[in-house]
Amino acid sequence: MNALKIPIETTTLPNGLKVVIAPDTTAPVVTVGVYYKIGFRLEPQGRSGFAHLFEHMMFQGSANAPKMQHIKLINSSGGTLNGSTHYDVTNYFESVPSNALERVLWLEADRMRALKVDDENLRNQRDVVKEEVRVNVLNQPYGGFPWLDLPPIAFRNWATAHNFYGDFADLDAASLADVQSFFKTYYAPNNAVLLILGDVKPDEGLALAKRYFGDIPAAATPPFADPREPEQTEERRGEVEEKFGTLPAMAIGFTVPPRRTTDWCAMALLDQALHGGRAGRMYRHLVLEKQVAVEVDGGIEDIFGYNGPTQMVTKILYKPEFTSETTLAEFDSVIHDVQQNGITQDELDQLKVKFRSDYYSTLEGGHGGMPRYGLMHLLACFSLFDNEPHLVNTILDDFLAVKREDIQSVAKKYLRNDKRAIVFRSPANAQAQEAA
Amino acid sequence: MATRPAAEIHTAVPPLSAERQVTWPKRTKARLANGLEVVLAESHTIPKFHGELFFRSGNAAASQRAPGFAEMTATVVRTGTQKRASRQIEEDLRRLGADLSSHAGADNSAIAFAGLSELAAPLLQLVNELAREAAFPEAEFERERRQKLEEVKLDRTQPGFLAGERLRKVLFGAHPYAQVAPTEEQVAAYKRDDLLSVYRDFYTPENALLLMVGDFDSAAMLKTIEKVFGAWSGQKPIVPPSPEPAKPRGRRVHLVHVPGAVQAQVLAGCHAITRKHPDWIKLGLTNSLYGGAFNSRLVMNIREDKGYTYSPRSSVNPLRQYGYFSISAAVRNDVVAASLTEIFYELDKLRALPVPDPELADARNYVSGVFSLGLATQDGLLSQLATVALNDLPDDYLENYREKVRALTPGDLLATARKYFDSANMQIAIVGDRTQIEPQAALFGDLDVYDAHGKRLG
Repeated sequence: MNALKIPIETTTLPNGLKVVIAPDTTAPVVTVGVYYKIGFRLEPQGRSGFAHLFEHMMFQGSANAPKMQHIKLINSSGGTLNGSTHYDVTNYFESVPSNALERVLWLEADRMRALKVDDENLRNQRDVVKEEVRVNVLNQPYGGFPWLDLPPIAFRNWATAHNFYGDFADLDAASLADVQSFFKTYYAPNNAVLLILGDVKPDEGLALAKRYFGDIPAAATPPFADPREPEQTEERRGEVEEKFGTLPAMAIGFTVPPRRTTDWCAMALLDQALHGGRAGRMYRHLVLEKQVAVEVDGGIEDIFGYNGPTQMVTKILYKPEFTSETTLAEFDSVIHDVQQNGITQDELDQLKVKFRSDYYSTLEGGHGGMPRYGLMHLLACFSLFDNEPHLVNTILDDFLAVKREDIQSVAKKYLRNDKRAIVFRSPANAQAQEAA
Repeated sequence: MATRPAAEIHTAVPPLSAERQVTWPKRTKARLANGLEVVLAESHTIPKFHGELFFRSGNAAASQRAPGFAEMTATVVRTGTQKRASRQIEEDLRRLGADLSSHAGADNSAIAFAGLSELAAPLLQLVNELAREAAFPEAEFERERRQKLEEVKLDRTQPGFLAGERLRKVLFGAHPYAQVAPTEEQVAAYKRDDLLSVYRDFYTPENALLLMVGDFDSAAMLKTIEKVFGAWSGQKPIVPPSPEPAKPRGRRVHLVHVPGAVQAQVLAGCHAITRKHPDWIKLGLTNSLYGGAFNSRLVMNIREDKGYTYSPRSSVNPLRQYGYFSISAAVRNDVVAASLTEIFYELDKLRALPVPDPELADARNYVSGVFSLGLATQDGLLSQLATVALNDLPDDYLENYREKVRALTPGDLLATARKYFDSANMQIAIVGDRTQIEPQAALFGDLDVYDAHGKRLG
């Protein structure tokens, strides 16, 4: 069933920059990405939120493309652009009509070679980031639930346990010197991969990559904080006040097995069994059958995009007439059922079909209509974490080989109370809401 | 690749190379004997397909029963058919590797689906069952209604929702477009039998459009569709005419008070035009240049220059009968007045001065370029085809769009801004803590203050 043959050309330039080209002439459109192996997890202590703030700075000007030019040049070429900060990578990407490919590579090379920003730019983007945090977290019901709530409860190593959006005091403390030093340390060709996908001939793409990126000097291999966690031996719980929302909520997270292991593949299918939409066991039990919850979703987010500890998280918004104990007991009964009885062959067959279908969709799109974002993301992560971009064609086989007993085994091994963390998010004004 | 002097390679912006031809895929259009309209297009990017079965009636057409009624009908549609119970439906979808959602907006109801090409026929069978034989099981209806009650409460805690709701009420008045969501009381009064009658009225082949894009052979797919949907029958619903919308004159500020808000959500808007209007493309370009793109005047001003906000945006919002233009920004509490000043400054500037040629050329390139990004994915193409079909636009609309955009002049934009950026009559909804922002808001027009439930506050 699985016979993916996505054509991929790969090379590494003498300065260490990995280049991956995936040609496809469906449309005269090309997507370019540059991924740097630096994310939230690796930002300096005392500078929470810095990796993300820095990502904003990368749009503020470089040696030959001053502030506003980057955005202007991409938009006026008929394309869109963005960047995003993840746990272990930060990416910058553009989708443009293919006649703008050379221009895009020039821009990405210019900012890899020489970021050029000043205090005024930093002040401006610090303000913008604060409004981003307000609009996404501080002024939103369930803002940051649970992606910012859970890590400090679940993890003990600062790398994964801190506030990734940043405390405002830390954002205020960030200086231009921090920006320069972060750039010098992590934004080097030997810590990055360049991806060109879509309407490009591989030899031409490679020639352009060499022309624009070839003489950017390599830097010393950057130091990476060790993100490993001490063994968890007790359940961890915490509470966060919900300022605006009307419903009590909780999220339960279990740490995922290390990537590229058999357990990891089994956990991904178990995740599908538990969180796969309305057919998933969690939704079916908590929302459809017991009717304790209003919303249940979650799972392992972006399973291929992590190079360190991450969790499978179940998010539950439940009805005010139920207690957190009742809700958690219903959650537990779903876990116990799969631990004791495993899953049927028929269910496993369904899970595999859905997993395969979802994988295809991931490859095609997945980010604000930007074509091939998902393929780009997987190629980048497989390049930076595994040095094996071709995994994109074969990794599906590992998941389709999972057996029933593997699923039951990971359920028993990883979904244990002493391996989980729970955050309770309770509305501050529950009484006021009821009285209104 | 042109050769350039080595010294310039890194310093000079490379020119664009010759443009590659944009070719939109051939569409197969058909109308079955029962009236069902079908549009198919092939796209072989992945071994899957995307589809949507639209019904040309939505919440507006059901508004005499209750606000949000078509949405509730769509929600219950997927919970059971004559042949399959809810759990069976969900497991069958998973067995087919499929995703499905049933939903409704103001003008349409729809069943959207995506699945593996090798399993297309059984997925179409299931869609057919949902469209024709939904059973509205009593227990499922009760559960969904209870869920909806909690959802409408939650909606009223979201600044974006509250701003949108207030603006729509102000712009549309007695017209059904004023109602973006039901109240708790209205949901409590929903009746299963009423949902069933909406379902019988709306979900008919004469009222429907089936769009599919993906990895299939169109001729074979059309045969499958005929086999699956051929025996369905039903008339177009009769929809009573709607009252005229309000046409508010003069700037007015509508403040929704949310105690403790740490930011102000601003949403200003005025009446504009529908997708079918001949000025649509002109307005789209003018909007893009004002605040519809990252590289737009508004974003450069209040984000990149002043740092007031993360996500300023302007949009043209076409509904079937009317359209409106809107500007949104979530801003720091202490810069509400400063942000509105810049929002109006940029609007009025476009109404007063012609856009310089280079800026217009950039905007034309942007709008025509991103239009063709839709070609590269199945769901992108589906949404382009849906726009054409649901608005009865000409068959060659996609092919001619870029050329029309590229023909626009500074004079066109000036006239468009003057006509549709109705600065003097702009209605301004602001969601925030009145104790922090009221004096600033009051600078921009007569002020009304509401709570999150729409109750007028003194």
